[in-house]
Amino acid sequence: MTLLAVEDLHTHFISRSLDNEMREARALNGVSFQLERGRVLGLVGETGAGKSLTALSIMGLLKPPARIVAGQIRFEGKDLAQMAPAEINRLRGDRLALIVQNPRASLDPLARIGDQLVRVHRAHRQVDAAAARKRAVAMLTSVGLPDPERCARSWPHELSGGMAQRVLIAMALINEPQLVIADEPTTGLDVTVQAQILDLIQGMVRARGLGAIVITHDLGVVAHYCDDVAVMYAGGIVEQGDTRAVFRQPRHPYTINLIDSTPERLVIGSGRIFGGPPPNLFDLPVGCHYRARCPRAADICTTSPPWVTIAGQHQARCHRVDQP
Amino acid sequence: MTLSRFLTRRLFFSVPLLLGVLFFTFALVRIGGQDPVALLAGPTASAQELALVRRELGLDQSLFAQFLIYLGKVARFDLGQSWLSNKPVLSELIDRVPVTVELMFWGVLIGALIGIPVGLRAAFRADGLYDQISRFVSLLGFSIPTYWLGLMMLFVFFFLLDWAPPGMGRISLMATPPPRITGSYLVDGMLTANWVAARSAFGQLVLPVLCVAIIASAPIIKQTRAMALEVLGRDYVRLARAAGLPEREVRRIVWRNALVPVVTFIGTEITGLVGTASLIEYVFAWGGLGQYGLNAIISGDFAVVQGYVLFLALFSVVVFVIVDILTFLLEPRAAGEA
Amino acid sequence: MTAELLMNAAAARPRPSFAARVVQRLIGLSRRSPTMMIGAGIILLFALFAIFHLWLMPHDPVRAYPTEVLKPPSARFWFGTDGNGMDVFSRVIYGSLYAFGIAVPSVVIGLSLGVPLGLWTGYRGGLFDEIMMRVIDAIRVFPIIILALAIVAATGQSLVNVIFVIGLIDSPIFVRVVRAEVLALRSSNFVEAARALGNPTWRILFVHLLPNALRGAIAQTSVRAAWAVRISATLAFLGVGIQQPTPEWGAMIRQGAEFIVTGQWWVALFPGCALIVLVLGLNMFGDGAQDLLDPQRKTTR
Repeated sequence: MTLLAVEDLHTHFISRSLDNEMREARALNGVSFQLERGRVLGLVGETGAGKSLTALSIMGLLKPPARIVAGQIRFEGKDLAQMAPAEINRLRGDRLALIVQNPRASLDPLARIGDQLVRVHRAHRQVDAAAARKRAVAMLTSVGLPDPERCARSWPHELSGGMAQRVLIAMALINEPQLVIADEPTTGLDVTVQAQILDLIQGMVRARGLGAIVITHDLGVVAHYCDDVAVMYAGGIVEQGDTRAVFRQPRHPYTINLIDSTPERLVIGSGRIFGGPPPNLFDLPVGCHYRARCPRAADICTTSPPWVTIAGQHQARCHRVDQP
Repeated sequence: MTLSRFLTRRLFFSVPLLLGVLFFTFALVRIGGQDPVALLAGPTASAQELALVRRELGLDQSLFAQFLIYLGKVARFDLGQSWLSNKPVLSELIDRVPVTVELMFWGVLIGALIGIPVGLRAAFRADGLYDQISRFVSLLGFSIPTYWLGLMMLFVFFFLLDWAPPGMGRISLMATPPPRITGSYLVDGMLTANWVAARSAFGQLVLPVLCVAIIASAPIIKQTRAMALEVLGRDYVRLARAAGLPEREVRRIVWRNALVPVVTFIGTEITGLVGTASLIEYVFAWGGLGQYGLNAIISGDFAVVQGYVLFLALFSVVVFVIVDILTFLLEPRAAGEA
Repeated sequence: MTAELLMNAAAARPRPSFAARVVQRLIGLSRRSPTMMIGAGIILLFALFAIFHLWLMPHDPVRAYPTEVLKPPSARFWFGTDGNGMDVFSRVIYGSLYAFGIAVPSVVIGLSLGVPLGLWTGYRGGLFDEIMMRVIDAIRVFPIIILALAIVAATGQSLVNVIFVIGLIDSPIFVRVVRAEVLALRSSNFVEAARALGNPTWRILFVHLLPNALRGAIAQTSVRAAWAVRISATLAFLGVGIQQPTPEWGAMIRQGAEFIVTGQWWVALFPGCALIVLVLGLNMFGDGAQDLLDPQRKTTR
C-alpha cells in the first residue's frame, strides 16, 4: 500500500543578488517516486544532487529562500506541499520522523536525554510526565542502549557518536511514525557503529511495518539495506527501481558511472571514472541535465528525456537507454 | 574541574593583571606632563621649597622605587591622601562604592530586562519590521552621548514637566539622609522606616538609572539578537522543529541556549558601563566613585587616581568571577570539562 | 546542436553599460542593507558640511554678538545663540570639520598601529602573542572614557594629543580583529603552500595574509570612527583636550549644560543632535559593512 507518493516536486531557491537581479536556483526538478509500507528506499546521488532537500521538502522544513514551487506530496490522503506550517508541524515527530546526521550536535546541550525524549513524546500525546518518562526509557532500551536509565539522566556531551545516533532514532520512533526519513544517518560514525545503526533502522522498519527513506552517498549502504533505490542527479531522479535490478543492470549512464567508480571496481580494472563539475543550478542545461558529462550525449538530448521502463518497477530517464 | 579550583586559578591570574594595571597608571601619572610638586607648592615657591616638597612626597626617587613604596603602602591599606580634600583615599573610595553600585545595579538590570526580550523577539522575527526597528533603536542607543541624554532627560522631566527632582545628588536638599547601613539612601531609608528619605532617594534615582538603562540596553539588544540567531541556526534547533515541537518550546530551547553567552557578554559590558555611569554621576552630581574618579583625573589628584584605578580593576575581577560562577552553574558542559 | 545555439542566442542579453551596472549595484545593496546606504548618505552629508562649511555658515562661528546672548532660535540665528552670543547653527556646521578632523586621523593611526601588530602577533604566536593578549585584556578592564581621559589629562591637553590617544586606544580592536583572521588562516593550505615554496615571512604576511585580514579591519573602521567622534566629544564635554570657545560639539554641550536647568535648551540640543546623527550614520554604515564583509561575524567588536 502506497505510504508516500511524491509527484513532480519542484523546489527552487529564489533570491536577489547584490546586483539587483532575481536569481532562481532550480534545486529539485520534477522529483517523483513512491514508497510502500514496510520497504526501505535508498536515495543516492552526489553532493548537491538534492537528496537532503527532498527530505526537507517532504517534511516541510524548507527555509526561505527555498520553496516548493510545484508538485504534490501525498501522505495519508493529504498533500503535504499545500499544508499550512502549523498543520505539518503536528505531523512531524508524530506520523513523519526525521533522523539527521551529526547526532551529537543535534541534541539540546542544556537538557538531559530523558527530558528531550519526554519533550518530543508529550508534544504529540496527552500523557503525564511519569508515563512519558517510562516510554522514553523503553525506547532507549529498544534502540539497544546499555543502561537506559543512566542514559536518560545523561547530558548530550557525555554520549559517543553512536550512542547519540541511537538516541536520535529513539526520538524519531517514540511516537510510532508511519514514515521515517534518515538523512545520512551514519556520517561521522565509526565503520563498526555504522553497520549497527543501519541494522537497527532496518530492524525497526521491518518489525513495525514502517516506510523508510535512507539518504546516502554510499552505494554499499544501499546495496545492503535498501529494498528500492532512486538515483538523483541535478535535482531529478534519473533511475529508480528494485535495488538488485538496478545494481545488476544499470541503464542510465550516470548510474552506470556511479557503480563503475566504486573503489572495488576501479581496483579490479573494470571501472572507469567520468567525473566533472557539479551542475550549476542557476543555469541548468536545456533538456537532459546530465548531457554535459554524459559519454552518450547526442543531439536528441537537448530535449527532455522520457521515462523508459526497463523491467517491472525498474525505470530510467534517458533517450539513449539501450546504447552502450 | 571543580568550581573552587577554577576560581583559585582565575584569581591567581588576576594578581599580575592588577599589578600591571597599577603600574601603568602609576607610570602614566608620574611621567605625564604635569608636575604635581609645582601645583602643590604654588607658583611662588623657591627652588628649596620645591625640593623639600618633592622629597616629602617621595618624588625624588626612581619610578620603580616609588612604585614599590606605593605597593607597600597598599598592602597596609594606605592609599594615600587626596590633595583636594586632604582625606584618606581609601575611605573616600569605600564610602562611594555602594553609591555607584546602586546606580549601576539598577541600570544594568533594567537595561537587561528591556534588552534581552527585545533582542530575542527581534531574532525570532528576523528581517521583519520589529527586527528592523529594534536594530535601529539599538544603533541609536550606541550613538547617543550619555551625558547629553542625561541633560535632555533633566530638561524634559525636570524643567518642562516638573516630574523629576533637580539633578543634584541622591537626595533632596530638604530631606535628611538616613543613617548609613548599606550606603544606599533608598535601602537605608527603607530599613530605618524613614519614608521621606526613601521616597526622595527613589525620586532622585529614577532619571539616572533610566539613562544608564537606556545606554546599557543597546549592546544587550544587539548581542542577544546575534546570539539568538546563531542558536537558531544550530542543529539541535533544526531537530526540535523536525520533531514537531511547538514553536513555544523551540523558542524556549533557543533562549535558554543563548542566555549563557549573553550573560558572559553583559559581564564584559559592565566594565564599559562603568564609564557610562561615571558620566551620569557627573551630570547628576551623584557623588559616587565615577564622579570622584573623573574629577580626580581632570585635576591631577594622583593618589586618588591610582586608588580609583585599583578599585576599577578589582571591580572588573569581581565581575569576571561572578560571570564565571554563573556560567559554571548554567552550563552542564562547563562542570564536566573546563 | 542548432536548437541549442538558437536557444542560447535568444537568452543572451546585451551587457549593460557601466553606469547602469553601478546603479543596479547600488539598488541591490540598498535592498540588502538599507541601513548601510542610509549611513553612507549621512556620512556623505556631514562630509559635505565639513568641506563646504565656509559657504554654509551664515555667521562667523566664533564671532560673539554681545547683545544677542542666549537668544532662542530665530530667523537670524537658526539654532539660537549660546552663552557668548555666538550663532549655534554656524558652530554646529563648523563642528563637523572637527569631527572628521579627529575621527579620520585617529582611525588611520589605529589602523597603522593595529594591523601590523595584529599580523605579527597572530603569525608569530608564542610568548609575544601571550603577552600582547594579556596586555590588551588588561586595557579592556578600563572603561574607554576613563582610559582616554587619564592619558590625555596626563600627557597634556591638546587637540593633537586627543587624536593620538584615541588612535592608540582604537588599535587593540584592530589588533584583535586582524589577529583572529591571521590565526584562522595561518594553518590553512594556501599559507602552507606559500611557506613550502620558500616565501620569506614578510612576503607571506603582506602578500598572502594581509588582504584577507584587512577585510575584517576595514569593516571595523566606520564603527571605530563613530567611537572616535564620541570619545572626543566626551573629552571636550569634560573640559579636557578642547577648550572654549572652540566650536566642537562636545565643548558646546558642556556650555549648554549650564543653561539646561534654566531652560535654554537649544545650546545643548543642537550640537547633541548633530553628534547623534553623525555617530548613528557611522554606526549604520559600519554595521552594514560588517554584515557584508564578514557575514559570520568571526571578528565582532
